[in-house]
Amino acid sequence: MSSGGLTAYSDGELVRRARLGDERAFGLLVQRYERAAYAVAYSVTGRHEDAEDGAQESFLVALERLDDCRNPEKFAGWLMTIVRNRSRNLVRREVLRETEPIPVAASSKTPTPERETELSELSEQLQEVLEDLPQVQREIVLLHDLEGWKHREIADRLGIPSGTVRSHLHFARKALRSALGGSSDEDGMRSIS
Amino acid sequence: MSGPEELEPTASDELGRDMELSSALGRLVDPATRDANYWLRFRAWVLESAARELARRRRVVDLTVGDVLTAWSRALVPTAIAASLAAALLLFQGPPGPTDVAIGLEELLSEGLEEEIFPAALEAAEDDAVTFAMERF
Repeated sequence: MSSGGLTAYSDGELVRRARLGDERAFGLLVQRYERAAYAVAYSVTGRHEDAEDGAQESFLVALERLDDCRNPEKFAGWLMTIVRNRSRNLVRREVLRETEPIPVAASSKTPTPERETELSELSEQLQEVLEDLPQVQREIVLLHDLEGWKHREIADRLGIPSGTVRSHLHFARKALRSALGGSSDEDGMRSIS
Repeated sequence: MSGPEELEPTASDELGRDMELSSALGRLVDPATRDANYWLRFRAWVLESAARELARRRRVVDLTVGDVLTAWSRALVPTAIAASLAAALLLFQGPPGPTDVAIGLEELLSEGLEEEIFPAALEAAEDDAVTFAMERF
């Protein structure tokens, strides 16, 4: 689907067009925020399947309620609130979808068995630390270090003071870095403080 | 872990993402690391599911701009034309002519009646005799 010349449009303009049923405008909003929505959903659910459900359904809910978005320029923050609430509901109701597991071998770069083991252990450790983080820290570190949102963007879009964003990011990174550092130990299983 | 506190931005914060951490998080979290077409399918699913709602919104817009105006015009335009014609007729009809106006009940009751039907007793007799009734057989 071509988005034509809409890519330069602001969120507000895309929202206004999507309200009129413009599929390209809505598609562009999805494209802009699909990763962030997934990251936020993942920060709540901690599971790929639920994060996928939460993010996808949130876009549909957002479209249905688009007229309630009082400030279209703040669409991202409004959407993330929907994603967060939707994902919490998913967790609360334990709506788990049966899906085919995605084979790790589908990756374009096939690592050696040793490297695969190392990456797997690292991922497990990282997953554990990520799960132990407060949800807001998980959300911020994923939006910042995974999606590349800047402090001010996160603060603006999530309605959190910029200093608080930096603070959360600092603690989240500190914990996650310890997991990354642990993988370089000889036994590869250093406990995470 | 202690609670969040306000910190001054560090150099690494201002420089942006921690690339090593970003890469590790990407491997862990980003579905596209395992499936290159993941986001295309994600988007396709969302847009396919949203098609009905988008179509409904387009219909509402069409209804607002087109059908509603047409529907209104169907009722309003003939009414407006009829009203303007009636107004024009009234305007060009000219001033109304003089009309007889009844000024009292008696005049109203006797208006248009022939004089013969008045009681004969009211007529003056030729011989000055009082006649209460004049009956003719």
